[in-house]
Amino acid sequence: MDLSFSNEQENFRKDVRNFLRDTLKPNISSKMKLGILLSKDEIESWHNTLNEKGWLAGSWPKKYGGQGWGVIESFIFEEECSAVGAPRILPFAFNMLAPVLMAFGSDKQRGYWLPRMLNGDDWWCQGYSEPGSGSDLASLKTSASREGNHYIVNGQKTWTTLGQHANMIFCLVKTSTKGKPQEGISFLLIDMNSDGIEVRPLRTIDGEHEINEVFFTNVKVPIENLVGEENKGWTYAKYLLAHERTGIANVGLSKRRIGELKQLASETKKDGKPLIQDPIFAARVAKTEIDLANLEITNLRILSRAQAGGSPGPESSILKILGSEIGQEIDSLTRRALGRRATIHVPNILDYGYNGPNISPINAATAAGVYFNNRKTSIYGGSNEIQKNIISKAVLEL
Amino acid sequence: MDFSLSSERQILFDTLTKYFRNEYSLERRNEAASSDLGFSRDSWKSIASLGVFDALLKPELGGFGGDPIDIITVFEAIGSGLVIEPVLNSALMSSMVLSHGSEQQKAVSQAVLAGEARPIFAHFEDLEQYEIHSVETQSTESGNAFIVNGTKSAVRHLVGACHLIFSARTSKTSNEKDGISLFMIPLETSGLTFETFESIDGGIVSDVTFSNVRINKDSLIGKKDQAISIISEAIETGTLALCAEALGIMERIKDITLNYLKTRKQFGVPIGKFQTLQHRMTQLFIEIEQTRSAIMNASFWFNDSVETRKKYLSAAKYTVGRVGALVAEESIQMHGGMGMTWEYDLGHFAKRLIMINHEFGDEDHHLNYYAKFSA
Repeated sequence: MDLSFSNEQENFRKDVRNFLRDTLKPNISSKMKLGILLSKDEIESWHNTLNEKGWLAGSWPKKYGGQGWGVIESFIFEEECSAVGAPRILPFAFNMLAPVLMAFGSDKQRGYWLPRMLNGDDWWCQGYSEPGSGSDLASLKTSASREGNHYIVNGQKTWTTLGQHANMIFCLVKTSTKGKPQEGISFLLIDMNSDGIEVRPLRTIDGEHEINEVFFTNVKVPIENLVGEENKGWTYAKYLLAHERTGIANVGLSKRRIGELKQLASETKKDGKPLIQDPIFAARVAKTEIDLANLEITNLRILSRAQAGGSPGPESSILKILGSEIGQEIDSLTRRALGRRATIHVPNILDYGYNGPNISPINAATAAGVYFNNRKTSIYGGSNEIQKNIISKAVLEL
Repeated sequence: MDFSLSSERQILFDTLTKYFRNEYSLERRNEAASSDLGFSRDSWKSIASLGVFDALLKPELGGFGGDPIDIITVFEAIGSGLVIEPVLNSALMSSMVLSHGSEQQKAVSQAVLAGEARPIFAHFEDLEQYEIHSVETQSTESGNAFIVNGTKSAVRHLVGACHLIFSARTSKTSNEKDGISLFMIPLETSGLTFETFESIDGGIVSDVTFSNVRINKDSLIGKKDQAISIISEAIETGTLALCAEALGIMERIKDITLNYLKTRKQFGVPIGKFQTLQHRMTQLFIEIEQTRSAIMNASFWFNDSVETRKKYLSAAKYTVGRVGALVAEESIQMHGGMGMTWEYDLGHFAKRLIMINHEFGDEDHHLNYYAKFSA
């Protein structure tokens, strides 16, 4: 057993660090550190910066324009990006759709869509959940019926993250009502500019516009936009969910945020002393830090095993559960550390042209909003309850 | 022993909850919360006309209630309606403070009862999280005036108030209990500057800064240097009220969540049929019952010795803080995505419930306090 990184890996870490130092704009990292939602331009601009370096899809095989990174390289990249507050690469195209296209798409689809992802030609969003189909995803009702060279799509998707910016959506649709619900689902790529599509914003409890509802009324989709075989979409979706897991432990992000929390708690006071010296608060922070140190190794163990065996197995649900819970605990501690000032809610504090008062400590501007917004992390991508079902069935065989 | 409310208080509770249910919709509440004032003047007047203030104040303050049980009865109803008007501060705490003042100052409190005045009491500063005696704002005697410098932090409901009641240090250093005095001045007094912020749970909070503000000697409330007991009593009463507000919110969240578990179907059945959710909902139910007991206990011991009062009050606020976070987080989780949306009621109740933990001491603060009293 050796838990250290190799010299090669450490050199890669230095490369990433140097690259980030040279390219990451301070106002972007400040926004990320305060948990502020980036604009479309800001996200696209960062994607372009990474693409110029060849790191936008580092874990993709070289033949598709990636670097062929293994899980350790991907982990190091993610950790270094998180450490300095670099934006997250949006997962929809790179971590979710692309692996499905590589595994199940046609040569034509791969040749067309993958380069467009790297070039930023398309903004992809995910069309899975429906109002009546959340945890019970297989009960979805959005239908696609074949008419000549098209599918005609009718239905509604919901919780569509950043769908307001998207020009493409990958959807699970119902193409057959025969057999088990899972057997009649297909995986379809749909142009958001098609006639019959309407996107409506859904405001979250912190007042942000991040998620949407997408309505489909007689939307014509060319049959070449079917991925793989008709009625096999459920298999592809499960494959996709396994791939989505790889960055989901958020170890790098949580590490940085615990550091920031300790800094914050050394500036706020309790009983005349820094809050971080309060035994109760210090114990809360220490517990979280221990959980995170454990998760870092659990994460690498699961990912390494996955690397050897292809894709991460059901054990990766552990990462989703722990990653979200630890992140949420840091959110909670950050708001606690701010005491009475946590109530302040000024999410536009870093906007160009903001002319309101300064806020000190600046974390107060967004901490409570971030705490509430991040309740989503134990809900989306298969709620933590669903993750536990997966573990109990597929791992423990209960 | 009798755990039931007297018939008068039951009627008061029923009247208030019915009023809030029928006349105080969440939609209107949120509209008022996002207005420039941060609440509704009309609702404030309606609440006054329902006799809420009379029920909260003792006879010597012009009311006909003021018993701890009156306070928890009214504030549980306020919580259940997610009422955003400044009943706690402008009606209850301000009146308590002003009762120690001159006849002129008491007259302002009388005007509150009549719905004609609305003072705000600002005490806390940035210096410390929740310690009551952490006051750094300085008020220095100069001839027949005081000169005030300092900042009061994140004051709710300050916008649109008529008077500012505030604490300041007239002697000693920033962390001592003696040497603090109370004052009341018109909000338009020159030298005051205000910075306003949206509050996550709705409404507006203000930082108010005093820069060499010259105020008359007769602005002093009660005796110089001796205000700590007045401040403590107001904040302790406010803490009891906040605990009851939290309980009212928890009960509403329980109803909302139970309804969802019984009606939302996945896998062909209501999700409340799944044992994992049944157990978690049961846990919330148990914890909310414990919270109600904690608040009853705190109200029962409220008029006992100061130590006993503080001990049981800390027990209640600790419980409210711990259970409040659990109820808010678990109820959202059991709803899934629906619990994250602005259009659904739950999130607004959850936000207020969490932010109550940030007023008058959080869970850790009161656990610490309790440990000191019980040692």
